[in-house]
Amino acid sequence: MIELRFHEELYDGFAIDEAVKTYAAYATAELSRDGGAYVVKVTAKPEATSEGIDERVLSAELANYALGLTIEKARSGGAA
Amino acid sequence: MSDMSFHLGEGSVRIEFDEGLYPKDAIYGAAYVFIDRCWVHLDRAGDRRIQVTLKAKKPGADTQAFAGEFQNELLGQAWRLRIVEENKKLVESITARALGGAAGPPGLDELLAMDIGEETAFEDPLGIAMSWEEKYKKKGKAEGTKAEPEGAADSASGGEKAS
Repeated sequence: MIELRFHEELYDGFAIDEAVKTYAAYATAELSRDGGAYVVKVTAKPEATSEGIDERVLSAELANYALGLTIEKARSGGAA
Repeated sequence: MSDMSFHLGEGSVRIEFDEGLYPKDAIYGAAYVFIDRCWVHLDRAGDRRIQVTLKAKKPGADTQAFAGEFQNELLGQAWRLRIVEENKKLVESITARALGGAAGPPGLDELLAMDIGEETAFEDPLGIAMSWEEKYKKKGKAEGTKAEPEGAADSASGGEKAS
């Protein structure tokens, strides 16, 4: 399991939700909030690991996706 | 504390920026450029300081070069934002004028107020639907053609030309 922390002022909560949904086929995620941060605990699914997908890479890609969506939302006028 | 600092890690680099110098939108813009080559993570490193962590996706990539490139990109993004801010009012004014000019007469309200029915649809008060010949024909000539042609009148009066 890998824990990702996203600062609330820098990441959009909806973007994180969307990223988790996008990667739902490969990983299970547990979402919570702690001290001004969104906390996502990512665990790769056995099907994903059996295909050779690394849990760290999966988590990093999920974080990148969340950041990308946050930036796109911020540019289109949504709050980050 | 300096305006910018960076720390090289194993396959990654951490850079800190002062939000007063580099706005959040500029940092977002620079991060977006690197999203395909690096795993990018943003965090708060203190009051009004943002920490950016770049980790190269390809093993063996020059992370120090990424740090330098990111700083250059950030400067470009910040400058672009400043230009946008400076020209915002001008762009708004030009857009408003263009939209105002495009809405020429008649307006929608005027069109809706028009009484267009089967009887009035073919009214032509300005004579636009009339042909040119019909509109500008000489009344006298038109009447003359009905009477007699000019040559016929001459011959009828016994007009012999003196030679």
